[in-house]
Amino acid sequence: MAWSRKSAMFASLSIAMYLLGLVLRNQQLVTVAVVLLSFLTWAALRTAHGDVASTGKRMEDAAMDEGVQLQSIVAMRKTSSARVFEDGEIDVTVRIQNRSGVAKVLELRDRVPEVMRVKKGANYVLMEIGPKRETEISYTIETPLRGFYTIGPVCIRVQDELGLFHNEKEILLYDDFLVFPKMEDIKDAMVKSRVPKIFTGAVNIRNPGEGSNFYNLREYIPGDPMKKVNWKATARQDGKMMVNEFERDAVSDVILIVDSRAVSETGPVSRNSLVYSTRAAASLTQYFLSRRDSVGLVVYGDEIVSVDRDTGKKQLYIILTKLAGAMAKGNTPLKIVTNRIMPHIHRGSPIIILSPLEDDPTIIDAVRDLRARNFEVTVLSPSSLEFEFDARRIDRTGYEVLKTERDILITELRGLGAYVMDWEPDMLLFTALAGARGF
Amino acid sequence: MAEENSKGPVDTAHLYDGKVVRSSAPSRVKAAGTLKRDTGIPDDAMPEIEIPGWIETIFGGPVLTTRKFLPPDRMVVSLQIWSSASLLVLTFLTFMLTPVSGTAWFTLSNILGIGFIGLAIHWILMLIGLIGGFFGISQRDQRALLASYVALILVTVRFAGSKVEYGLSFLPEDETIQKILLILYAVFLVMYIEISSGIIRFSMLDTSIRTGEVYVMNVNAITRRYTRALSVTPAVAGFVAMLTLFINLIIPAFVGILDPVAANRLRESVELTSVYGVALGTILVFIIIASMFAINLPLRIQQYTERQS
Repeated sequence: MAWSRKSAMFASLSIAMYLLGLVLRNQQLVTVAVVLLSFLTWAALRTAHGDVASTGKRMEDAAMDEGVQLQSIVAMRKTSSARVFEDGEIDVTVRIQNRSGVAKVLELRDRVPEVMRVKKGANYVLMEIGPKRETEISYTIETPLRGFYTIGPVCIRVQDELGLFHNEKEILLYDDFLVFPKMEDIKDAMVKSRVPKIFTGAVNIRNPGEGSNFYNLREYIPGDPMKKVNWKATARQDGKMMVNEFERDAVSDVILIVDSRAVSETGPVSRNSLVYSTRAAASLTQYFLSRRDSVGLVVYGDEIVSVDRDTGKKQLYIILTKLAGAMAKGNTPLKIVTNRIMPHIHRGSPIIILSPLEDDPTIIDAVRDLRARNFEVTVLSPSSLEFEFDARRIDRTGYEVLKTERDILITELRGLGAYVMDWEPDMLLFTALAGARGF
Repeated sequence: MAEENSKGPVDTAHLYDGKVVRSSAPSRVKAAGTLKRDTGIPDDAMPEIEIPGWIETIFGGPVLTTRKFLPPDRMVVSLQIWSSASLLVLTFLTFMLTPVSGTAWFTLSNILGIGFIGLAIHWILMLIGLIGGFFGISQRDQRALLASYVALILVTVRFAGSKVEYGLSFLPEDETIQKILLILYAVFLVMYIEISSGIIRFSMLDTSIRTGEVYVMNVNAITRRYTRALSVTPAVAGFVAMLTLFINLIIPAFVGILDPVAANRLRESVELTSVYGVALGTILVFIIIASMFAINLPLRIQQYTERQS
């Protein structure tokens, strides 16, 4: 049985008045004190048992602490989905049963994660539940941020009518759910592999050999089929035979590297580099997989978590799950990541790095190594400076200095042949990608 | 931002050594050209930090929560009416039962030789209790209510010399009526505190319901229980108070079974009729209540109720 602030105030007031009444021989004060004490005692009698055996209490008595009134209350929960995207909704239904034959007034709160917002209904209910009855409460929560979450426990409280004492019970009922990062439709702002894939993987190349998109003209080499000869160009070249070269349609291996180091969470909770990176990675994954490419993922923070390249819808959910669980921790350098993954990916595969490019002196070396091995590197860099500046956490001078340093670093990376985009917070992913590729 | 010493390539001069910079820093130029933000911190950007005062530190939070309520619903309005009525009766009973003699301000005014000051302070305290209470009830202002409680309790703090005295001379001298009036006064004081705090409680609940914070199923049943408790609890408290105040009659009644003479002596005893008799009564009554808790009677009653139903 727990005391409320009101009951504590009543108790201290009554004791003070009682003692003062005795000292001043004032029956008026003593009478008020007695009435107050009687109020408290009556409420305590009606709320719970007297917990007189606080020492030497038997184990089985411990269960009684929550009070007899709450022992017959049972709760069950049902959620509409265990997997949802950011800004999605989950419908929750909690069924409460009163298995005793006495009507009860209950306060019930189904605990939802702090970042969630109850959109419809209420997770906090005050109710009178009749004997041998059950009732159902339902509410809808909004899921604004990716991650693993748990609903529960169900907290139940019963108190006397005057709000002096209460008993509480937690029903250990938990439901886990997963919030995937939300995805943007990025259409054609895309990266293509310059070289065909060596291993076909799980999906067949749709047009083996030549593709259909024009690439360039070159001189005829013996063995070239005659249908490839561009006669108009041949005529313009004074009889030198020219043939059309086509871009090869192929399935690419696309590797996404997501920086989830501690620094990537700089900025507000809902607007930081990691949030943007995971959303971008999810969108890119969806796009490439829909194009039947195979996509691999590397998330690095305090450890390196990788998802091997694969295709199909299952791969999408595997990657989304990893992205949902990406925590901003640790400070693993990019060079260690690239050194580890380079032997396992095909040369020429597009590599997309999603990183704020901060606090890592190995970035330039890592990108240089990748470029030296002919990987097509695209860096999408959500600028944590912008997030911080927007949140007024750095002043203008600091911002300008850091921005200059960042620009120098980006320029250096561009100089290495990487496509780099300084992704500002208000920019759509599509625009950022288009900017990175120079489209 | 991360600390400067862990930022890595802070000194970027080496980036330019022997290299051709292919392009300027577009973002920087763009940022410098387009940034129109001032460096002043807007009011809404700073989270509100409330540093607790020493009273809040002691109580572990604000003593009175400041909260805006929506217009009162029917339940709150009826509580306001009941509370106002009980305040009116309480003030009248206080005025009747509490003479200025024996109070600190009465002594002070006697020392100063200005007799009416004591009485003025006495009435002012009662007026603060009354007006503050009405204001608190109508505006649902917890500070005004607290001031009213304090004033109405403070006015009763006086050296009374065991005897019940009245503020009004024409009231009956009969001991039973005196004690019943005292009990009435005490019950009304507690009722006033309870109902006026109920106004705040139900206003909070009503506001929470209407803002969607909480959903209430079967509101009528819950308010009905509260109303019932408001009528039962004061009756029980009044009964217990009566047992303690009339101990000078109860004990002799039991003793009288064995020895009528001793019972009569007890009935006449100054100790039993004085405040110490009340204290004895309180001890006896609460020994009984404590023994009920000691044998876990409430639990057994609850278990019995659950089983029977």
